[in-house]
Amino acid sequence: MGYVSRLFKNGRIATADSPDLRVADILVDECGVVSVIGVGLTAGEGVEVIDCTGCLLVPGMFDVHVHSREPGYEHKETLASCAAAALHGGVTGVVLMPDTSPPVDSGNLVKSAQDLVSEISPISMYQSGCLTKGRQGTELAGFSGMAARGVPMLTDADRSVPCPDLMRRCMEYAKDFDLLVTSHADTPALTKAGAINEGRVSYRFGLPGIPAISQEIAIDRDIRVAQHTGARLHLQQLSTARGLKSVQCAKEAGTSVTCEVSAHHLVLNELDIKDYNTHFKFNPPLRSLKDNEALVQGLIDGSIDLIASDHAPHTEFEKSSDFGSAPFGATGLETTVLVLFDRFINRGIFGWDLLIQRYSDAPRRLIGLKPVAIKEGAAAEFFVFDPAASTTISRDYLRTKSPVTPFMGETLSGAIRKTVVGGVLHE
Amino acid sequence: MSELKPRKDLLDIESLELAEIEYVLENAVPFKQLFQRSVKKVPTLRGKTVLNLFYEPSTRTSTSFEVAANRMSADVTNFTVSSSSVVKGESLLDTIETLQAMRSDYIVIRHQAAGVPGIVAKNTGASVINAGDGYHAHPTQALLDAMTLREVYPDYQGRKVVIVGDILHSRVARSTSTLLHKLGIEVAVLGPGSLVPEGRHDFMTRLRSWDEVFDWKPDAVYLLRVQMERQEGQFFPSIAEYHKMYGMNSERLVRMRELGAYLMHPGPVNRGVEITDEAMRYERSLISTQVENGIAVRMAVLHWLKPETDKD
Repeated sequence: MGYVSRLFKNGRIATADSPDLRVADILVDECGVVSVIGVGLTAGEGVEVIDCTGCLLVPGMFDVHVHSREPGYEHKETLASCAAAALHGGVTGVVLMPDTSPPVDSGNLVKSAQDLVSEISPISMYQSGCLTKGRQGTELAGFSGMAARGVPMLTDADRSVPCPDLMRRCMEYAKDFDLLVTSHADTPALTKAGAINEGRVSYRFGLPGIPAISQEIAIDRDIRVAQHTGARLHLQQLSTARGLKSVQCAKEAGTSVTCEVSAHHLVLNELDIKDYNTHFKFNPPLRSLKDNEALVQGLIDGSIDLIASDHAPHTEFEKSSDFGSAPFGATGLETTVLVLFDRFINRGIFGWDLLIQRYSDAPRRLIGLKPVAIKEGAAAEFFVFDPAASTTISRDYLRTKSPVTPFMGETLSGAIRKTVVGGVLHE
Repeated sequence: MSELKPRKDLLDIESLELAEIEYVLENAVPFKQLFQRSVKKVPTLRGKTVLNLFYEPSTRTSTSFEVAANRMSADVTNFTVSSSSVVKGESLLDTIETLQAMRSDYIVIRHQAAGVPGIVAKNTGASVINAGDGYHAHPTQALLDAMTLREVYPDYQGRKVVIVGDILHSRVARSTSTLLHKLGIEVAVLGPGSLVPEGRHDFMTRLRSWDEVFDWKPDAVYLLRVQMERQEGQFFPSIAEYHKMYGMNSERLVRMRELGAYLMHPGPVNRGVEITDEAMRYERSLISTQVENGIAVRMAVLHWLKPETDKD
């Protein structure tokens, strides 16, 4: 590719350190490195000038919970469409879940996934591995081979390890390799065929419910096993206030535990589910307004470490069946930044610094990467955000293959204009 | 009764306005009077077609709809999907395509998954009548129950009905309680804690024993069928214990007689489970009236709904 130098003029730089934004010009050289940050920079010959007046320059986000669906479910999403969606949403790095077909449960499969990524993807994609063989929850997967290939975490992706004894062995074994054990906390015996949060809403819809205790008991169990074994534990997709309280208590006790929350669990609840709309069917399910409030508070006070989208593409056809039969999940890579800006930053509830801490820095640190920042000498990895514009989520807007999102049709404040990764500018 | 908004489908009770409920219940009365005549038919739906689409076995409800449609002079086709070839999930849209091609004016649907009638309704111009979807709704059952209660209690407002049994898995309990509440009838429930979910309903009083029921002085006791096929887990220890705790037996019949309370059941009954043989012969049982009113109410529903088949 013929790289060119680019001068981003008059943008305001967002950082993790302060809600304040600094107006500056940024020169990105032909190697994709931020060479100069200053005021009143002039473009030399051959330098492309990009006017960023009124816009923000924000460090690229990092999403530790993404289902790329390739290999095996390319009708839902491919690595290429997943990467395109990420870039379109201001996300410049992701951790891929291992629930592909076949599930990634050995060093060889990690290797082939990594090879596929390196051929296709314009962004960093880190392939995670399974905790148990085939995600079946019966035998340990090939930890050492996967560790040797540098998996960032082990998880059975949307499945809990049902047996507490096996979960204990997973943690004991993972500790030897210093592997992060990531749990989709859920108690299958309580969740059963549930489709929606158990309560008034599930009763009214006549749908089998998933009780809050299904996640809460699993969180308590996993925390206790982590304390017992000393393994590092990351909890995916917190959904209830009580679950968060468990995490807070564990952290106070010095347990090595982190947790994530999605944009949908922050801003949507069971009352938003209208007319059996399956785009609102998630696992864990959307809970109550009180849970929303507690999770937002937890995100702000830091007891929730990070934001992760649980980008889970499905075809419109798959989602068009009845609520009970439709698969769980929706896409999130292209909506998370916009939704969080619209609902929180734009309303003064928190600043860009918090979003960068929770969706750019903390996720990278979780898997041992250095945070990215817009500074001289660093590789360019940021996006241009126009806070005065707005974005309507539509099939045309989305670059993911899956037009499934609970925000479909909504007009959100703000717009992501461009994403820069190294010397490449993605419009 | 003027100026009702035309309604295409009957999917649940919640979305109905009181005026619509009144319209259906009042129209059901002359339809029922028709049953006393030698010719029980009206020509209202001559040339129209009704498709009875049952994904769950049901003789009573499908027959009731069939009789209702026949008495309205509609042509009826029964399309029963055997449980072995259950068409659900992914192929639902394909099934709707097929239905569209049949150009029915009315589709009566029963499905094991909540919400399916709504999906069908959205994708067809035919009027869709929900004949029971999962645990969600059974609106014509609720309407026939209301009709039955109004016959015995013309002053029905402020009356009290207790529903006994499996509230958790019952679309009948959901729809009937909602309708009675809309009509100003008080509703209470009796059943084991495992089947009577706490804090799900704004208006139903929870009673904990038959003594509490009789102290509450109900005007009618509505027994639910114990859905043995729905008990995916252990919700109560045994049928015998259920019968002992919640069944209608001779001892409880004595209290019923004292109160002059009526007895209702959506059918089919499990004798010896929720009701004894003796209680089946109770003089204030409304069970057969419910069946008869079911036909009248379903005729009134067919008469009321406005298909948009011309727009297809």
